[in-house]
Amino acid sequence: MLSRSASFFGFVSLLWAYAGMAQATLDVFACEPEWAALAKELGGDRLEIYSATTASQDPHHIQARPSLIAKARKADLVICTGAELEVGWLPLLLRRSGNAGIQPGQPGHFLAADYVDMLEVPDKLDRRLGDIHVSGNPHVHTDPRNILRIAGQLTKRLQALDPDHADHYQQRHRDFESAWQRAMRNWNERATGVKGARIVVHHHFWSYLIDWLDLSKVATLEPVPGVSPSSRHLAQLKQSLQQQSAVMIVDTGYMNDRPVRWLSEQAGIPIVTLPASVDFQNGESLYQWFDKLVDLLLEPVK
Amino acid sequence: MNLEGLEISILAPAFVAGMIVLMTHLPLGYEVLRREIIFIDIAVAQIAGLGVIIAYTLGWDEHGIEAQIAAVISALIGAWVLSWLEKRYGEHQEALIGTSFILAATGGILLLANNPHGGDHLKELLVGQILWVEWGQLLPAAVVSVIVLAVWLKFRERIGSAGFYTLFAIAITVSVQLVGVYLVFASLIVPALATIGCSTRSGYGMSAIVGITGYAGGLVLSALLDLPSGAVIVWTIAISALVMHITRPCKALINSRTKSK
Repeated sequence: MLSRSASFFGFVSLLWAYAGMAQATLDVFACEPEWAALAKELGGDRLEIYSATTASQDPHHIQARPSLIAKARKADLVICTGAELEVGWLPLLLRRSGNAGIQPGQPGHFLAADYVDMLEVPDKLDRRLGDIHVSGNPHVHTDPRNILRIAGQLTKRLQALDPDHADHYQQRHRDFESAWQRAMRNWNERATGVKGARIVVHHHFWSYLIDWLDLSKVATLEPVPGVSPSSRHLAQLKQSLQQQSAVMIVDTGYMNDRPVRWLSEQAGIPIVTLPASVDFQNGESLYQWFDKLVDLLLEPVK
Repeated sequence: MNLEGLEISILAPAFVAGMIVLMTHLPLGYEVLRREIIFIDIAVAQIAGLGVIIAYTLGWDEHGIEAQIAAVISALIGAWVLSWLEKRYGEHQEALIGTSFILAATGGILLLANNPHGGDHLKELLVGQILWVEWGQLLPAAVVSVIVLAVWLKFRERIGSAGFYTLFAIAITVSVQLVGVYLVFASLIVPALATIGCSTRSGYGMSAIVGITGYAGGLVLSALLDLPSGAVIVWTIAISALVMHITRPCKALINSRTKSK
């Protein structure tokens, strides 16, 4: 009994010491787990990282919880995708946080999409097409080359916010850069078998991955996200797949898989469900996530 | 357990929003139960949402004052049509309300069929989130709610069906945008249901207790358990209603009064 309470006190004092240590670190609020994972690679122990969403959650929508506001309130740095991905909740959260340092335009406000070349940027705005993503496709994290570019910019930002430890970030960034480049060469080599493969996508989530691996997108099942496709679209899709087949239907982890299952049955094409992001909350790293993506894509072409 | 979210400045605007909603919804809730038109709030909210979608497809700003006007006007039109239907086909009113709900909901889907963010807009209109409420939004909502409440308490006998439906449409349009459809339904129906059979005066008091403990308990619980606040509050309102129903304080009151006579 005594030893148990002693170990409890030991645990509490450890927690206490940890909290004291945490005082000296930067608090990072990531909108999506991929940016939490990237921050962890670049900052290590210097950062106290929280991810507002998980890989199995659609970052377009999140339910408001009190802890979310509390985390935003004490954050030194907010890392989000931008490009209107979080437009439904991030502005509200930032306003409710009352935290001046993380407002748009401040050093504590980092949007990853600002630092990469965007795909699917509309040529002209047409109201009849509705509220298009004016900045282009926001799912930039599905191309590892983008991760590398964003890592460089994020490092500069961390150094600006925590200048006393600029060398620490510099060193970690150098290590990350070389390790990531090695990993990219490895993924590229392993993915040779799937290069040029004809695929059907559920919606435009994987455009950057498709660009990276030179996949050939032959059709999109749900061109308008969140709105079920019309029967004419489905009929055309089925017909075009009969003329020239595809090797797989690529689906996103958090999406409803019923339309994909329907098409798979109709056209006899296997489904590959890719996790939308890093399982940061369970300790997965960016490397492990991309490894998994390559493995899953290779399955139907074996 | 999570003590971090348990901060008064995070929870206070949400709690006040809840109190503003309760102010109109407690008295209107009894009327809704009496008329047996339980799902009218969801139907009117959906029609108001449809109005915003129409305004949006016409190129208006969906967050501006135009959208508010579009929401109120379509809610009023919807409410007046429902009030006319009640007069004409009173015995089928519940079925007609249900039908107008699905028409408004699917009408929104059809209007947004070519809109890449269609689904987002539909969802946003349906569920305003209580935790995102800011102090600045509360003042106009409070003013409108006080006026609705005052008119209802003073002229309820005289304004008839059309008057009730008008007040109701305004109250719902305001509250749905603050707290979302689920909480509007819970605030309207559940406290009234828990205190059915109470005298009017003690009923109001008891249903206010159900509503206030529901909101306060739900907000605290959602902070402690780190769960979405709106959904937790719906459950705590239901639980405090159940406790109220089981302990039956006003029935005991009535019984003791009749005994003492």
